[in-house]
Amino acid sequence: MILELDNVTVTFTAGPPFRREHVHAMRGVSLYVAEGETLGLVGESGSGKTTASRVALGLQRPTAGAVRFEGKPFPKRRRELAGHMQAVLQHPHWSLNPRMRVGASVAEPLAVLGEKAPDRVHEMLERVGLEAGLATRYPHELSGGQRQRVSIARALVTRPRFLVFDEAVSALDVSVQAQILNLIKDLQREFGFSALFISHDLGVVRYIADRIAVMRGGEVVETADTATFYTAPAHEYSKRLLEAL
Amino acid sequence: MKDWLTRAGMVCLGLIVLVALASVVNLAGDPDEIVGPRLAPPGPGYWLGTDNLGRSMLPRIMEGIATTLLLSSVAVLVTAALSAVLGIVAGYRGGVVNELIMRLVEVLYSFPAIVLAILVAAVFGPGQLAALASIVLVTIPLMTRLVRAAAVGVAQRDYVTAAIISGARLPRILGRHLLPNVAGTIAVQVTYALSVGIAVEGGLSFLGFGVQPPQASLGVLIQQGTTYMTAAPWMITGPGVVFVVAVLAINVVGDGLRDRFEPRQARSLV
Repeated sequence: MILELDNVTVTFTAGPPFRREHVHAMRGVSLYVAEGETLGLVGESGSGKTTASRVALGLQRPTAGAVRFEGKPFPKRRRELAGHMQAVLQHPHWSLNPRMRVGASVAEPLAVLGEKAPDRVHEMLERVGLEAGLATRYPHELSGGQRQRVSIARALVTRPRFLVFDEAVSALDVSVQAQILNLIKDLQREFGFSALFISHDLGVVRYIADRIAVMRGGEVVETADTATFYTAPAHEYSKRLLEAL
Repeated sequence: MKDWLTRAGMVCLGLIVLVALASVVNLAGDPDEIVGPRLAPPGPGYWLGTDNLGRSMLPRIMEGIATTLLLSSVAVLVTAALSAVLGIVAGYRGGVVNELIMRLVEVLYSFPAIVLAILVAAVFGPGQLAALASIVLVTIPLMTRLVRAAAVGVAQRDYVTAAIISGARLPRILGRHLLPNVAGTIAVQVTYALSVGIAVEGGLSFLGFGVQPPQASLGVLIQQGTTYMTAAPWMITGPGVVFVVAVLAINVVGDGLRDRFEPRQARSLV
């Protein structure tokens, strides 16, 4: 197991002490991502998908429950996981620092680890289907699809064992979406990373995920193999989602 | 129209800076030298008239510009550095740190500028240091608030999250991601703060708490000019005009910068 969430609950509190309001973003969620597989996490907005990804990345401490990465409990300091897990996030427009050259953005995860390897940056850019010469450009000179490719290059440059794709293709055109999804599949075959792929788009998840988990109101209502899920969904809510597709 | 105005502002500002530089080498003569009769109207040898001691007004105004500009610039740079740190830390960290910094800044904000300046003068004693500290304290609240607002926006962007996930430490996140992306806001606010700085120096020196005679500053010259306003109007006209032109020019340049760095924000009235 690369990643396991064991009965994880996340509760946000809001309001003054005498009238605290508790919002359960996740209630007793158990998930796992096995070696080399892609788990698709679907659900409508507000279902707790993003909180789940934040917990998986160690950005959000669970209120209750346990998270294990490669069989070990999460370290107290997030930095110990540096380079082992990365993410590709939603907005192509904000995924890259506009004041940093593309090459510097891709090199950042390496720089954080104290490594310098310009050739790895160039190599990585070529692996994601971009010219190495793009390293000296600024993000505003790139298209949305190119920027998302750069984000993928940045995420993969440290050769992480686990990646989170949080709505990574949702903001792109359909034709570009297909290209990026194919790229992710190819790279996964090459690098062998495990992935948590979060999306509200069932069509996209079907294409990329090996297994699917459906979240609703902070709970996982169904987990199934992709083939099984799309032919014979077990939960009432899953059926409704698929009918709407 | 807008472009034309910004350019005019830059030309004025450029001229003012040139004049300040010229005064350093006493290009128009010694500002402390007595060259003619007291309160003489403009004439050969003293093209802008003389003051109540018979000193030529031209070199005095030039020295005044230099003093005021230097004092305000240094103070505003101090403000920019402090505000950048406070604003970025407050905006990125949020929570208790944010509350602490912002409440502190708001306390400063609640004082009228000149009251705060007098308070500072009382603590430091009248002089350039008091003027400098006053300008910093008067300009820091607004700049910190605006830098913080910009930093809050930047902190939520995906590239910051990606850097955190990669394990980047705080100095890298603040220095490489936050600072460059709020630099535009800082640049714009620096120009506005500069005009506020000139006004505060003017006010404080006018009241006698700032720059001390015989050294000339715009505030000192205007203060001396008011005493002889009816007998020698040239004593106040020169410094007064320069004061107004400087503040206007800086504001206009600031508007131009803002339109460039923050194109989506509301335009100025001009």
